[in-house]
Amino acid sequence: MTDCIFCKIIDGKLPARKVYEDDRVVAFWDAKPASPVHILIVPREHIPTLNDIPEEDRIVDHLSIVARKIAADLGVAESGYRFFINVNRGGGQVIFHLHAHLVAGNDFGTLFIKIGIAAAVLWRKLVRFVRPQPKGKRSERISQ
Amino acid sequence: MSASHADCVFCNIVNGKLPADKVYEDDLVVGFWDANPVAAVHILIVPRKHIPTLNDVKPEDHILCHVGQVASRIAEDFGVAQTGYRLFINVNRGGGQVIFHLHAHLIAKKRPGSE
Repeated sequence: MTDCIFCKIIDGKLPARKVYEDDRVVAFWDAKPASPVHILIVPREHIPTLNDIPEEDRIVDHLSIVARKIAADLGVAESGYRFFINVNRGGGQVIFHLHAHLVAGNDFGTLFIKIGIAAAVLWRKLVRFVRPQPKGKRSERISQ
Repeated sequence: MSASHADCVFCNIVNGKLPADKVYEDDLVVGFWDANPVAAVHILIVPRKHIPTLNDVKPEDHILCHVGQVASRIAEDFGVAQTGYRLFINVNRGGGQVIFHLHAHLIAKKRPGSE
C-alpha cells in the first residue's frame, strides 16, 4: 500500500525509532507514546485488521513472541506490561495496517488509587490517635 | 507443571467445576463472560492449558494466533467485528494481571443497535 504510514516506515521512507526488525515484523516507538514504554509491533505484510488475517497465518504468535523479547530487553517483562491489538474504529484503530501495542511503565490510574487508599488509611489512624474510641469501656461505664 | 491447577479459578472454569457464562469452546481455548464486565461486551479467552503469563508461552504452543482467530469469531458473533473491539493481554502485576492463567480480554464498548 503506497499511502500507508506503516508500510512507508517498514520500507524506510518515513523515519521511526526502530527497536527490532526481522523478516516478518518491524517494531518501533509509537510517535506519541502514551506511557514510558510504548512500542508498536507491525507485520511487514499489509494486513488491515485482526479480522483479515488468513486462517493459516501465524503472525499473531510471532507478534507476541517479539513483544516478549522487547519487554525483556526493556526490563519490563517481569514487572509487567500490556499487549493489545485495537480492531476497527470503535476499537480505537487509527492506522489500518495490523499492529500490536506493547505498553509498560507508570500507570497513573493505579498510582492515584494507591495514593488514595494510603491517604484514607493514614486519615483513619490520625482520627483514632486524636480521638481514641472508648469502645470496650462503655459497658463498664454504664454499670458503674 | 501439571496441565491443570486445583486452586486456579480459570482451570476450574475450564474443567466445569466453577460456573461461567461460556460463549465459545474448542479443544484449545474457552471463551466466557468476565464476572465483572467493564464494557457492553467483555469476554475472556482462556487457553485450556495452564500457562501463567504471556512470558511463559512456548513457541510450539501456537496459542496466540488461535486466540486471535477465536477473538475475531466471537466479535463476529456479537456483531462488533466491523464496528470495533480491543483484544488485550495483561502481563504480570504491573501490567494489571490478577489471575495467573494466561487470558485475553475482548472488549467492545457498544453493541450495534443497543443504544
